[in-house]
Amino acid sequence: MKKILFVTLIFINLSSFSQELFVLTEPASNMPAKSFGIRNMNAFMFEADGKLNYHNMPEIMWGINKKWMIHAQGFISNRQEGGFETEGGSLYAKYRFFSEDNLKSHFRMALYGRYSLNKADIHQQELETMGHNTGYEAGFIATQLLHKVAISSSLSYERAFDNKPNYKFPITESNSAMNYTLSVGKLMLPKVYTSYKQVNVNLMLELLGQRLNQNGKSYLDIAPSVQFIINSQARIDLAYRQELYSTMLRTAPNGVILKLEYTFFNAFK
Amino acid sequence: MKKLISITIFLFITYVASSQIIRAELTATGLTCSMCSKATYNQLKSISEVELVEPDLNNTTFIIHFKSNTPVNINNLKKKVEDAGFAVGELVVLFKFDTQVAENNTSFVLDNNTYTFMDTKPSTLNGEVRLKILDKGYVIDKEYKKYLNMAKRYPSYVSANKNTYHIKTL
Repeated sequence: MKKILFVTLIFINLSSFSQELFVLTEPASNMPAKSFGIRNMNAFMFEADGKLNYHNMPEIMWGINKKWMIHAQGFISNRQEGGFETEGGSLYAKYRFFSEDNLKSHFRMALYGRYSLNKADIHQQELETMGHNTGYEAGFIATQLLHKVAISSSLSYERAFDNKPNYKFPITESNSAMNYTLSVGKLMLPKVYTSYKQVNVNLMLELLGQRLNQNGKSYLDIAPSVQFIINSQARIDLAYRQELYSTMLRTAPNGVILKLEYTFFNAFK
Repeated sequence: MKKLISITIFLFITYVASSQIIRAELTATGLTCSMCSKATYNQLKSISEVELVEPDLNNTTFIIHFKSNTPVNINNLKKKVEDAGFAVGELVVLFKFDTQVAENNTSFVLDNNTYTFMDTKPSTLNGEVRLKILDKGYVIDKEYKKYLNMAKRYPSYVSANKNTYHIKTL
């Protein structure tokens, strides 16, 4: 615990942070209009008994215009008996409703919503519509960019339903939750730009928390990450997610996340 | 009164067939990262009248060269920067004139767009001249408010639409 606090302090002290292309949260900014992106999120989570849960979440993203973008995502994992299985999918939409730009800084606000389907067994009290529960999430994001530093925060409401066809949501458990996040990112390299081909390196730190509405149980995770941006077009993110505390049942909160992303600019005329 | 103003403005409009837009220097706001800059660069490059875009990543500035003998719509530059997710902080346009009188509240028409001088010292412009666009969406908000306070002296500034621009000599 002390170690984690120390790491946190180092990260906060590094501040004059940039980049808001966070690993585990979305910023209030959108991708460029008429662009198309592909993403693959790989989560290697450690279960208490030593078993490794692998979640693969391929995703496609579309910038409709400067205000709207949508994502479609699939959830594949090896959690079920019999190996890899497609467990579900989701649709996500984000609407940027406020934007104030200044030289090398901006402040943005956005609303977002996600609806997910999942057929896997319900095995923990934590609610997670990204890859575990059928349900929806609706939230608000605010992001501030100050030169090389980006700070973003979000608040959302999450509601879980039955994982049809086989798994009912247990009536004894809380089926709704509030989620809150705080993310900080800083552009570390290059110090001076010379071309779009330079590799950009960003360091980030994210805090992710949840509180279950019906029983007040909660958790808070910390996730430091490093991000490489190649040719100003491709992204490789590597994060480690660690539980700081939890009063609810979670089967595999800690693990490594590898995220790959590629943007096709002006894909739609 | 409105009629009188429009008539006055109309009388001041001089048609200069030989003037043209050669280049634009655009500073985008709200970005620092190379991915954001590249998104903006690609959007600007996709405009049909644009010949070449030279990006300056450190200053988030783009020098935009236009094709010769092609009508230029400045509004397209603004739209594309906003499509990339950012905004225009400054736009300086390089015009080529063959004797153009620059006087406050006088206008000229080029490629169906009306350009009106404001906050400018009276002079006669010849050859290549850099002019800054002062309208909303082409300057940062603080600057726009400053020009809005001058609106009494420049009645057309408040009612500017996408085919009318207000310019200042630098």
